[in-house]
Amino acid sequence: MKILIIEDEEGLRESIEEYFSEDGNICETAANYPAALSKISVYRYDCILLDITLPGGSGMDILKNLKAGNHPDGVLIISAKNSLDDRLDGLNLGADDYMVKPFHLSELKARVSAIIRRKTFNGSNLLLFNELNIDLLAKEVKVGQLPVKLTRKEYALLLYFIANKGKVVSKNAIAEHLWGDGIDMANNFDFIYSHIKNLRKKLMEAGCHDYIQAAYGMGYKFTE
Amino acid sequence: MKLQTRYNYVNLATTIVVLLITGIIYYQAISWILTRQKDRDLKVEEDEVFEYVALNHQLPQTFESNDQQITFTEAKPGSIKREFINTEYYKRWDRDKGFKKHKHRSEGEYESGRGLITSVTVGDKYYKILIVVSKVETEDLIRLIFTITIAVILLLLLVLLVTNRFILNRLWKPFYNIMKELRLFNIADTREIPKLGTDIDEFKELNTVVVDMAARAKHDYKDLKIFTENASHELMTPIAVINSKLDTLIQTENFSERQSKLLNDLYSAVSRLNRLNQSLLLLVKIEHRLMHERRQINLRELAEEMTMQFEEIFQGKRLKIACKLNDKEIYASPYLAEVLLSNLISNAIRHNYVGGEVVINLTNESLVVQNTGNETELNEEIIFTRFHKSSGSEGSGLGLTISKQICENFGFSLKYSFEGVYHTFTVGF
Repeated sequence: MKILIIEDEEGLRESIEEYFSEDGNICETAANYPAALSKISVYRYDCILLDITLPGGSGMDILKNLKAGNHPDGVLIISAKNSLDDRLDGLNLGADDYMVKPFHLSELKARVSAIIRRKTFNGSNLLLFNELNIDLLAKEVKVGQLPVKLTRKEYALLLYFIANKGKVVSKNAIAEHLWGDGIDMANNFDFIYSHIKNLRKKLMEAGCHDYIQAAYGMGYKFTE
Repeated sequence: MKLQTRYNYVNLATTIVVLLITGIIYYQAISWILTRQKDRDLKVEEDEVFEYVALNHQLPQTFESNDQQITFTEAKPGSIKREFINTEYYKRWDRDKGFKKHKHRSEGEYESGRGLITSVTVGDKYYKILIVVSKVETEDLIRLIFTITIAVILLLLLVLLVTNRFILNRLWKPFYNIMKELRLFNIADTREIPKLGTDIDEFKELNTVVVDMAARAKHDYKDLKIFTENASHELMTPIAVINSKLDTLIQTENFSERQSKLLNDLYSAVSRLNRLNQSLLLLVKIEHRLMHERRQINLRELAEEMTMQFEEIFQGKRLKIACKLNDKEIYASPYLAEVLLSNLISNAIRHNYVGGEVVINLTNESLVVQNTGNETELNEEIIFTRFHKSSGSEGSGLGLTISKQICENFGFSLKYSFEGVYHTFTVGF
């Protein structure tokens, strides 16, 4: 997939680019308003990561520009402003999602994957990964033809891993994904462990390959 | 006490004092003038006696008129000093009138009188003369004048009080209007305080000052809001960079156990830093009432959702949770309601021991969150202050401050009490 990262902060831009580039994606970047504007007027992207505060202009104007041109690109706003007005403005203008800095790259990847999935499959809601067969609408998981009964959190975890396949996902990122960042989970990583243990057990019992590996006590990795 | 009441008190007190003093002076003056009048009469009488003695060389007949008595007594020569005295005048009743007037059978009564003691020498005898006149009419006169004066002054006072009441109420009207405007003033509102139509300079000035102040406060507030947003942006960006760099770093394989421990610590610190920053921003937003979104929220549903969210943690700490939830609808910001519940419940978990209890009661009047834990009562004064936290707490120290602010924002109360073994937080709706 083809992604445009519009972000003025160099460190963040590079990290996002690096995280998204592996896995065969094409990433392009723009560091300021004019550069971003010229890119979106020429090229089309599956998803655009859009910072609101940019040197030379507002990300909102880029969004308006995109929508005025009837371009179908998915847009994910990444903003430092956690203000409801901004969020509503962004979503009303046609953005697909809104994320507040700081965020984990794995969370960003999961959100971008969700946007692209919605855009490209056009109504089809099946996610296939080797023998795994996930119905996104019914929230049902099958291994081959065999249904696997997952809890809400196990299901969320599985989707999160698939979106970040091949990456080490930190326990912090998992905790924030499952419980939200409002909840202080610092000393509660045991729950993540038990959720992952249960998920692996259920998948393997249904005959699925064991894709989830622990990574140096820091997190987990979903590998083919 | 109202200004008007205070003003009336002062007014009343001074009027009464002045009135009393004038009354006394007035009384003294009239009484002095009238006494002088009587004295003159007495002197005329004395002269008559002297004339009679000079002409006839004998004492006149003692006689008694309606209001005058003269007595002569022999005295040692030179022992009498001429003087005017206040004395009593013995009044005999008229035969007809007296019995009608008085039931008792005395022959008369004493009334106040004015007397002159003087002396005369007739032949070789020395006499003391006592002339007494009744003062009763004089006193009646004084009393009448005095009563009329008092009545007039009292009437004046009453009229003043009544007019004061009405006039003052009218006069102060602009003041109350300004107060009303001030009460309605909301710094986050766009509504301006209107200019007031009044002729009174003081109120005009007050109005101008208030309008200026409101404008200044709004301006400062706007500045602060911009500053807050900028601060948030400036802080969030480096935190975001650190976070993303950490996420990238862990992709570079082959970590030793020591390195991964360090990375984990870094992750926790960054996430704490992030939470702290978010909490501070949230606090500023609540304090400045920036959370304007309002919606109907069913607190029971929200509480159930929350306890489900915390399910694993309850299980992990083997906490017994007892929920008694009734339906309770509030009209408030859903985000803040969520933060409030989340803060109270996570506190109840965090400050609990393994195998402890959490009790959540929701009624129409209150939401009560109780937990077992440390068996000493907390100090209600300080637990709601910023950055106060118990030793060893992993929290930001802002959770209860935020909860309190949210409650104030919603118009609820938040109280702490220690009941038996339970630390109890009560939100009163």
